[in-house]
Amino acid sequence: MYRDTNALIDELTAGLEPVRPLRLSSGLRFALAGLAVTLAVVALLFGIRGDVLAGRLDPVFLLSAGLFFVLGLAASVTVIVMSRPQVGRDHGGWRWAAAMTALLPLSGIITWMVRGPDAVSAATVGQGLECAVIGSMLGLLTFAVLTFWLRRGAPTSPERAGLLTGVAAGSFGIFALSLHCPFSDVVHVGLWHSLAVVVSAGLGRLVLPRLIRW
Amino acid sequence: MKSDEPSLARLMAMAQRGDQLAYRTLLIECRRWLKQYFGTRIAPNHLDDLVQETLLALHHKLATYDPARPFLPWLAAIARYRWVDHLRRVYRAEETELEEELIGRSDEPAIAARISLDRLFEQLPSAQAQAIELVKIEGLSVAEASHACGQSESLIKVNIHRGLKKLTAMIEKA
Repeated sequence: MYRDTNALIDELTAGLEPVRPLRLSSGLRFALAGLAVTLAVVALLFGIRGDVLAGRLDPVFLLSAGLFFVLGLAASVTVIVMSRPQVGRDHGGWRWAAAMTALLPLSGIITWMVRGPDAVSAATVGQGLECAVIGSMLGLLTFAVLTFWLRRGAPTSPERAGLLTGVAAGSFGIFALSLHCPFSDVVHVGLWHSLAVVVSAGLGRLVLPRLIRW
Repeated sequence: MKSDEPSLARLMAMAQRGDQLAYRTLLIECRRWLKQYFGTRIAPNHLDDLVQETLLALHHKLATYDPARPFLPWLAAIARYRWVDHLRRVYRAEETELEEELIGRSDEPAIAARISLDRLFEQLPSAQAQAIELVKIEGLSVAEASHACGQSESLIKVNIHRGLKKLTAMIEKA
């Protein structure tokens, strides 16, 4: 540290450069641009599911994709807001979106129990794991975008910021993949698509704090 | 000048546009405010270091202030973050007597109370607050703190760990 705070103030003053304040709208545009690129990757690499292209939209697909999109949006907005610290803020609104989305795995588990153990075969597990892994990977761009934003910002709770970045990345990733995934079954969507969000959230919580401390 | 909220917010907005004179005035006022803010929650021999660390953080994070929002809650969030980080990193202090004259005063007591370190600290269970107070602020060893408050040494360590974790989670909320 400096021996004299006046010397520090002199140096900081001399080094002042104009800055553009971080804006919520800019951060959100940035995050949505990342999602748009992710959607384009899904369309180009995997293709869009036939019933969507034909305009025959399955209700389970609509509900699950919508819930993951809203959860991704809520988590992204919270992360962007967290980059501008302010005593008196709660950052807890995303939990409502998470609670609503949690109805998907809950419905999946209940439906699985009602149908019996045979409802989940080795083949469906393989398909499910594939969705969970690819969905998590598709969240990487959102993860990178939000990490970049957090490094510009000043999050006071790196652990929570990491968790939420993972939730946002996983939700947007699986939302994008759901435009390709041909399965609209609530067990598949509820268990395996939700798993992508959980895995991504765990990775964010583990990996991100050390990248965004300041 | 008087370091009231609107004046500080105005100076900060000018500093973000590159006005060096406004920035210098702001930093001087922030130094004074931070010394009062940290008050008795830091060992006196670490006060200047913590104030300087916080001014440096302010400098590096200038863009994170939203000119449409109040300035002091932003500065308090930066200060709390640096304070908790400082508690994590410290030390066994050589001096433990606290300078009573540094206990905070403010022209805006309601805002000051809302964003104070005391308010953050009061959210901790008393055992955790006591362990942090004795070891991280007053500078006692774990053994000395255990003797002073009756908690076992392992409990002191657990309470410090849990307390710092909780403080980090509540920096903006409390």
